Amino acid sequence: MVYYLIVCRSLTYAQRTAAVLERGGITGVVLRAPKSIVGEGCGYAVKVSERRLAQSLVLLNRAELRPKGIYIAESDGSYRQVGP
Amino acid sequence: MIYLDSAATTLQKPPAVARAAANAMSRMASPGRGGYPAAMAAADTIFACRETAARLFHVPEPDQVVLTMNATHGLNLAIKTLIAPGNTVLISGYEHNAVTRPLTAIPNVTVKVADAPLFQPEAMAERFRALLTPEVSCVICTHVSNVFGYVLPVEAIAALCRERGIPLILDASQSAGTLPVSLEELGAAFIAMPGHKGLYGPQGTGLLLCAQPGRPLMEGGTGSLSMLQEMPDFLPDRLEAGTHNVPGAAGLLEGLRFVARKGPAHILTHERRLAAQCVHALTRLEGVTVYAAPRLAHQAGVVSFRVEGMDCEEVGARLAKQGIAVRSGLHCAPLAHRTAGTLETGTVRASFSAFNTPGEVSALVRAVSRLRAR
Repeated sequence: MVYYLIVCRSLTYAQRTAAVLERGGITGVVLRAPKSIVGEGCGYAVKVSERRLAQSLVLLNRAELRPKGIYIAESDGSYRQVGP
Repeated sequence: MIYLDSAATTLQKPPAVARAAANAMSRMASPGRGGYPAAMAAADTIFACRETAARLFHVPEPDQVVLTMNATHGLNLAIKTLIAPGNTVLISGYEHNAVTRPLTAIPNVTVKVADAPLFQPEAMAERFRALLTPEVSCVICTHVSNVFGYVLPVEAIAALCRERGIPLILDASQSAGTLPVSLEELGAAFIAMPGHKGLYGPQGTGLLLCAQPGRPLMEGGTGSLSMLQEMPDFLPDRLEAGTHNVPGAAGLLEGLRFVARKGPAHILTHERRLAAQCVHALTRLEGVTVYAAPRLAHQAGVVSFRVEGMDCEEVGARLAKQGIAVRSGLHCAPLAHRTAGTLETGTVRASFSAFNTPGEVSALVRAVSRLRAR
């Protein structure tokens, strides 16, 4: 399944992000961000399904939450940055 | 035992507090240190604690709710963020050592004291207005005196600070959970509060509500930006180095939920009724001096008194022998006693919580009257 990772600056920020998505009816799972995409070491991300990304970004923008980066999970297990 | 020392720590807690702390001990690991269920359960609990506090105290975002060890920890963070050596600070005459000792530890700080008489809020606001001169870089004020239950005019003081652009640190140790405390409405820079008093959490918990990032007292692991050797510049990580007190936060969350469910105003009304009953009955005893506000609105659920011819510590010890727990002495607030004129004698303090009853207040009064009969 294709999914996106919304990478956040901190665990609390990721939790805020997930809470905003949940209030908007979108399931966002908080998880440890893969080391390969967290340059400064140790970070958290919110995983959302492919079809929910656009709506998620609208909700986050409305809540003034700024992701550190948005990555798509490739079929080979790697991640490719698609935003912001 | 009849416990009347809730201004120090509320001993009776909602049962859910201990259950949550015990559950966290056995099922939760460290937030921000792993993605496995036990770590995420801890993270969810701590986030819920921040969110619940943010709603209760009108903090814009849960990140701005920093978990501390107690109010003293929060006050130290706030004071050492805003006050540098050589600064001038304006404080009320009813501050606790949690404020005055950190100020003393910073070199060359000039402390101006607004020292209006007890239970005269208009005079206190006027003193703040007169003493808030251009060299003052920060104002610190307690919301409620831990010795006398005196409710200081913090709304007026906060308005004055906003008007003059001076940061305000509020010590909400005796008001959080009863009086309205709003970071947004007061426009305070920081509000510090314990978790273990009016929020009914475990000892070793506290909250610092932050309108700005603050300066760390400790550096260490935060589970974020680990490659960097400086502390993160964002809250709450910046002020929360090291492993959290997860059982404490789990208990505090249940305490916050209890307060939110009952309503701070409801708890305040209950405590004020007990305080009024206490004042009314003790005042009728010969040789007992009671420190009571002429208006109910100026006193919270704390009553100080003295018994003529008896050392306050002796009164406390004799009441303890009768199964009544009160606090005697200076209550870690010599400045408040100096301002009120009780520094030489100290006082005996009875303080109430949501769990006390009128019958317990009557028992205190009977016990004090027995002391007098000796």
